[in-house]
Amino acid sequence: MVNLIRRDVILQKKYLLTYIPFIVFFIIMESHPALTFLVASIFIPFNAFAYDEKAETNILLNSLPYTRKEIIAARYLGAIVYMVLAIGLTSLALLAFGEPFTMKDIAIGNSLFLLFAALTFPLFYILKSGHTFTVVLLSFLILAGIGPQIVIFLAERLTAITDFIARFSVSTLYTGAGVIVMVIYALSWGFTAFIYQRKAF
Amino acid sequence: MENVVELKNVAKKFKGFAVENINLEIKQGFVTGFMGENGAGKSTTIKMILNLLQPDAGEVKVFGLDYHSHEKAIKERIGFVYDGNVFFEGLNLKDIKRIVAPAYKRWDDDLFYKYIEQFELPLNKAIKTFSKGMQMKASLAIALSHHAELIILDEPTAGLDPIFRRELLDLLQELMVDGNRSIFFSTHITSDLDRIADYLAFIHKGELIFNQSVHEVAENYALVKGKLDLLDRDTEKAFVHIRRASTGFEALTDNSSEVKKTFGDRVVIERASLEDIMYYLKGGIHLG
Repeated sequence: MVNLIRRDVILQKKYLLTYIPFIVFFIIMESHPALTFLVASIFIPFNAFAYDEKAETNILLNSLPYTRKEIIAARYLGAIVYMVLAIGLTSLALLAFGEPFTMKDIAIGNSLFLLFAALTFPLFYILKSGHTFTVVLLSFLILAGIGPQIVIFLAERLTAITDFIARFSVSTLYTGAGVIVMVIYALSWGFTAFIYQRKAF
Repeated sequence: MENVVELKNVAKKFKGFAVENINLEIKQGFVTGFMGENGAGKSTTIKMILNLLQPDAGEVKVFGLDYHSHEKAIKERIGFVYDGNVFFEGLNLKDIKRIVAPAYKRWDDDLFYKYIEQFELPLNKAIKTFSKGMQMKASLAIALSHHAELIILDEPTAGLDPIFRRELLDLLQELMVDGNRSIFFSTHITSDLDRIADYLAFIHKGELIFNQSVHEVAENYALVKGKLDLLDRDTEKAFVHIRRASTGFEALTDNSSEVKKTFGDRVVIERASLEDIMYYLKGGIHLG
């Protein structure tokens, strides 16, 4: 299992050189720290799919002594492992640039990452290979671009919902959101494993 | 005699194509050639043996174990070589080894480097720069470096030049010195089989026509030539397929001793090459 997770680093050795400048770019552009954490987390797991959606890769992995459950588990656990590494690296980069950030930024960035991963990972196994990567990348950029505006727009109009949310304390809200994200992530994992089990290569 | 692979009544349906009722046994310690024209169902069968495809019906057992509960144990003992390159093409052999090796408990680095040297493969060049022959050698080196007991090759000789094809076949033969090892390889090039196969399995339009030793095939199958007046509804039953011409008939039988009994000296019986067998069977299976 660890080997399957480590595989992503071996595959992406060359890309990793662009990783730090990538994070630095977001910091210099004065992006919100939460967005920087989100982007940094996405880098390795989603790059990995550029390889994994190829039929040959699935033939290789499934011919090796791995079960299909393990292959999917490595995907979902790997995303968390790389996310944790990304938190460390991004925090160091932010500190180095003297940019302030809070635990809240980390929590928001990573919850959004896990949510995004949960919603898109299954697509790589459902859709025909070749286009998923582009579709997901574009949808991410669009969401990151207009997502916050939409939320603000909705928050201003749908006061009933905001009033309802405002009734909870901040800590309850964060914990609740965190739990919901984790449940969605687990459901996504189960769903993908179920699909992958039945796939033919 | 032990079977390393057993397929019992295996069936798999696709849109417009199906393999049906496959009963295949691969004997331990021998080379089994899997022949059939393009699209006959060779790759589908191989994928089912490797659990890349799950059959709709029937049972697949490898080393006497089923995939349901022993998937990893089975795959530990199999070495695979596919028609095309399945390794990440941007990576060099060293990195591919770093990904593949930890998957196997019995991976042997010394053995791997021995094959790399023997095959004269570069370790630091991306796989995509390799020629077809080199890619094949690279897959083979990886397939052989974990002491696999069963080596499965899907069309290993396709697209290789004749010299390299021979080298590959010689190499496979060398591997068989280890008496426990079994090799199963598919091909549509019959001369490959003449050279190294001990057993032959022939698949045609998704149906397994025979699965016999080379010796049995040579004994049972024959080309028969004779005058047209020898053929009638009864005598025709001895043949798999008959080609008629004004000068006489030429036919393939899968029961040459029976033909000898029926026709005696009135026909000429010749040894059927594998190519003859494939050619005649392609013409249509006689329902007798």
